[in-house]
Amino acid sequence: MMRIGVKNLFLHKLRTALTMLGVIFGVGAVIAMLSIGEGARRQAVEQIRLLGTNNIRIHHVELGGEAAAAADYRYSPGLTAGDEKMLRAKLPTLCALSAIRFLDVSVQRAGHEPAGVVVVGVNDEYDDLTNSRTRRGRFISWLDARYARRVCVLGAEIARDLFGVQDALDRRVRIGEEEFLVVGVMERKSVATGGVLEMRNINRDVYIPVAAALKRFTDPDFPDRVDEIAVQVSDAASVVPSSRVIDRILEKSHRGVHDYEIVIPDELLAQSQRTQRIFNIVMGSIAALSLLVGGIGIMNIMLASVTERTREIGIRRAIGASERDILGQFLNETLLIALAGGLIGIVLGAGMAFAIHLFASWETVVSPVAVLVSFGISASVGVIFGLYPARQAAQKDPIEALRYE
Amino acid sequence: MLIDLQALRRVYHMGGSEVVALDELDLQIPAGEFVTIMGPSGSGKSTLMHLLGCLDRPTAGRYVLDGVEVQALQDLELSRLRNQKVGFVFQSFNLIAQLSVSENVQLPLVYAGVRPPERRRRAQELLDAVGLCQRQAHRPNELSGGERQRVAIARALANRPKLLLADEPTGNLDSKTGLGIMKLFEELHQDGTTLVLVTHDPGVAEWSDRVVRMLDGRVESDTSVRLREAGASSGEWREVG
Repeated sequence: MMRIGVKNLFLHKLRTALTMLGVIFGVGAVIAMLSIGEGARRQAVEQIRLLGTNNIRIHHVELGGEAAAAADYRYSPGLTAGDEKMLRAKLPTLCALSAIRFLDVSVQRAGHEPAGVVVVGVNDEYDDLTNSRTRRGRFISWLDARYARRVCVLGAEIARDLFGVQDALDRRVRIGEEEFLVVGVMERKSVATGGVLEMRNINRDVYIPVAAALKRFTDPDFPDRVDEIAVQVSDAASVVPSSRVIDRILEKSHRGVHDYEIVIPDELLAQSQRTQRIFNIVMGSIAALSLLVGGIGIMNIMLASVTERTREIGIRRAIGASERDILGQFLNETLLIALAGGLIGIVLGAGMAFAIHLFASWETVVSPVAVLVSFGISASVGVIFGLYPARQAAQKDPIEALRYE
Repeated sequence: MLIDLQALRRVYHMGGSEVVALDELDLQIPAGEFVTIMGPSGSGKSTLMHLLGCLDRPTAGRYVLDGVEVQALQDLELSRLRNQKVGFVFQSFNLIAQLSVSENVQLPLVYAGVRPPERRRRAQELLDAVGLCQRQAHRPNELSGGERQRVAIARALANRPKLLLADEPTGNLDSKTGLGIMKLFEELHQDGTTLVLVTHDPGVAEWSDRVVRMLDGRVESDTSVRLREAGASSGEWREVG
């Protein structure tokens, strides 16, 4: 039975191919949509993991023009290490807290200076905040932070760039004009580039105590300035309430000057997922429309085929085919067209996903679930749009069908 | 009796008017008999053939085929009966052009649920029996008319039916080829198959045991023929009883 179906489809190659087109594009769109969605989701999860969960980030905001003048007038110095100390004192329930200062200085060893290094001043809680661990040695300690010691912890890539296969521990590197002792090397982390949260390659970070950063690399205009304060709270439910409390405290201490900005990464991701949903609706509509058109195309061709093969139906009935056999035969053929179209569509969709990955550098993942869903959809299209023509075929009067010229 | 028809009626509805194709028809055919049905067009021959072949159901009356009450059956059982007990041979052969000769012969076996290796073996046997064993892989349109009708007969015999129905089987063939087909039917008859054959051709009728003439949906005359037993070969036929 199946072989006869396949044979019939091959007999009308072009017609079959054209019939499949709608299903091909529909399924292609479904696959592309699901793989983009899945890619975005994985990337989001990955970034959340890198930033640390239940995080609140307070960024310094550089004011300009009138706002800057107003800030000067009210003696607001921007985000400072003092803000960190104050938050720690006022909110003892916070899990972890770290001021962060990014330095634009060179890191070198024996004259070799790797590119793309970011020196980051942090305190001893930063590793917990970001779920990161050292591979060798230890992270910045409380004492390092307290006494602004000249110690550093190297990101995995930087350690390799500076020391190759040698052990970096207890060796010295030159940061700016100062010698720093390497006390630890970080584990390598996979970094998702692009996406909603601009991420730097943290494997090229060099961590030093934030106090050392402020003391050794002082910005004469803003001696106490930090770029960011990272806060971690105990659970997801307290992220938003905590952020409000922090906002109120900072607003007060900054005398109403908004030279800081509170960012909740989880919120950003939720936002991006809402945007993703709109994209999904658009793609889903295209897919649904294409599948509908494809289905109608299949139905149209099958109706023509049923009429064309009326005589054959009569012969088969005379030989002993029941209505159910005829129904099965035509349904089989429709299903075959739809599934073949689905298969090609899956390949096309995977290709589209790859092209999007290449040209838009979005992360895309063709998941087995997406493939199964697409197969299910094609099968449904085959059955839904095949049923009517197949019923027409089955219900033909065998005697009339035998007389049909 | 293989076939028992009692007061069989078949009425068609055509645009409000009723056409009585079969009118209280009674007919009995014992197993193994070779019956020819003759009559002018519109006399109900084709309707009778379709009813006998379980392609159609009577409007009223009773049809018992090999002990089964046919008029009561639904499509599925009717199809099964058709598949197992009836073989059709048509004037225009009615082979499926897309399938090979062997596949055409296998088709009734497909619907009977026979496994492919067994199907192929049976098709081979049947084609051997009708003298077409080298033509298995050909398409029907590569065969002559006589060969096509032999394929059709092989197909009709695939499930070893008790009843073989033939509607003008020699109508599209020249007389020599037709003779070959009739000889084949004669062999099948000798083997015990019940044959019911519709024809206009008195020359074909003379091969049979019995001639039923129809008119206006009824049996006009029902005569037994004893031609071959009498040793006659002139083409003249003699009526008995």
